[in-house]
Amino acid sequence: MYVREMVRGFKIWGITLAAPTVRALLFASVFGFVIDRPGVTMGGLPFLDFLLPGLVAVAALERSFQSSAFSIVYDKNEGIFTDIAMLPLTPGEIVIGYAAASVSASLIVGAVVWAALLPIGGVMPQAPMTLIFFVAAGALMVGLFSQITGLWAHKWDYLESVQTFIFLPFVFLSGVFFSIDELSTGAQPFARANPVFYIVDGIRFSLTGRADADPWTGAGVCLGVIAILWLVVYRLFASGYRMKS
Amino acid sequence: MNWRGVWTLYHREVKRFLKVFTQTIAAPIVTTILFYTIFSVALENRVGTVGTVPFVVFLAPGLVMMTILQNSFANTSSSIMVSKVQGNIVDVLMPPISSLEMMSAYVAGGVTRGMIVAVAATTAMTFLVELPFTNLAVILFFAISASVMLALLGMIGGIWADKFDHMAAITNFVIVPLSFLSGTFYSIERLPDTWQYVAQFNPFFYAIDGFRCGFIGHGDSGFWFGALVMIGVDLVLFIIVHRMLATGYKLKS
Repeated sequence: MYVREMVRGFKIWGITLAAPTVRALLFASVFGFVIDRPGVTMGGLPFLDFLLPGLVAVAALERSFQSSAFSIVYDKNEGIFTDIAMLPLTPGEIVIGYAAASVSASLIVGAVVWAALLPIGGVMPQAPMTLIFFVAAGALMVGLFSQITGLWAHKWDYLESVQTFIFLPFVFLSGVFFSIDELSTGAQPFARANPVFYIVDGIRFSLTGRADADPWTGAGVCLGVIAILWLVVYRLFASGYRMKS
Repeated sequence: MNWRGVWTLYHREVKRFLKVFTQTIAAPIVTTILFYTIFSVALENRVGTVGTVPFVVFLAPGLVMMTILQNSFANTSSSIMVSKVQGNIVDVLMPPISSLEMMSAYVAGGVTRGMIVAVAATTAMTFLVELPFTNLAVILFFAISASVMLALLGMIGGIWADKFDHMAAITNFVIVPLSFLSGTFYSIERLPDTWQYVAQFNPFFYAIDGFRCGFIGHGDSGFWFGALVMIGVDLVLFIIVHRMLATGYKLKS
């Protein structure tokens, strides 16, 4: 099942790999052109150095969100989702299959985007293991959320709504583009309540050594959120939520 | 002229996107506001002004135009694409309606979506930033001519693409980059010389620049020249689409 998910994701690699890369490069160049003088900083780093790790994070998380949910909704529409429900797999094994695919896909996309950003100012990671941890944790968190979305959604419309109205705001406002110190004091608690913030911050810490929050706290928050989401997804698969009628 | 036929097809085109208005109208508005938020929070205090106007005032019309471009394109391209994949494109090709009438209805549908999104996005922007509306006629002209341009491009894309993958590729690799890099976020004076030169051949640039000129009163290019480019490009695209429909390119076998 893991193999099937991976094959499905990368059959259209032109889209799954090239599209996020192009988008990351676009964001990087747009911000680069807007900044009209040298020495513009964000959170103590040159602006692009601050931005690029965020773009890697966005690309990895976006892939992760799209992996399981799209696969599940597609299967539902084709009427072959029952094939999954019928497999001699325990709910836990199904969850692992989807989640493992999300995480590997995100790591691949993250690596490709990171490599593509190298020529325009990307940096070698300062803490490679931490980097892999945060990308994987982020991918797992979003991947599990993606499974919930996929199970909940009957149609593509629902999926796209979740992506536009929940996923994108969470990601875009998580400190990808700005340090949350820039936000008004009223908005800061909200930013810190956003689990995606800790992923982005952790990834930035691993690449540049600079963080808004303590990375250990971030890792703890990620693991906590993952545990909760895992339980939810497990319950959904075990109870056959919107799978078996 | 088969008015009833044109009206019916137009009506369908509009109903098609209104039915899923959360994706076709609400989603672009949310995305526009998100973009505004990230750029203003990240850059407002760092960039200050573009020319003589504050960065955010410069940014807002650019973002509205970007949504117009993307939505007009999405409307016609996805409509034709879905019809092709589901096989009901014959229902549009069979009735006694000329190529000209057919494309008018599609383009009008795309423009309608572009305008609804434009009005909604502009309204949202006025809550966030104090926008001057220097010349309403200029704003309208560029909004509509740009919308027509992208609706026509959407038809070309929809007719040409065989699969959704192709469509996604055009959107990701052509439409989005062009709408990002054509002066939505910065004045092209910021670009290196070679790119400034290239930008002069990019119709998206004139659309964005002219639209913004309607708000802030001046642009990178001359107004009349920009208007002329838009009309010229619309005309050329119109002829291309008309030829495609008349010859049945990729539609009739």
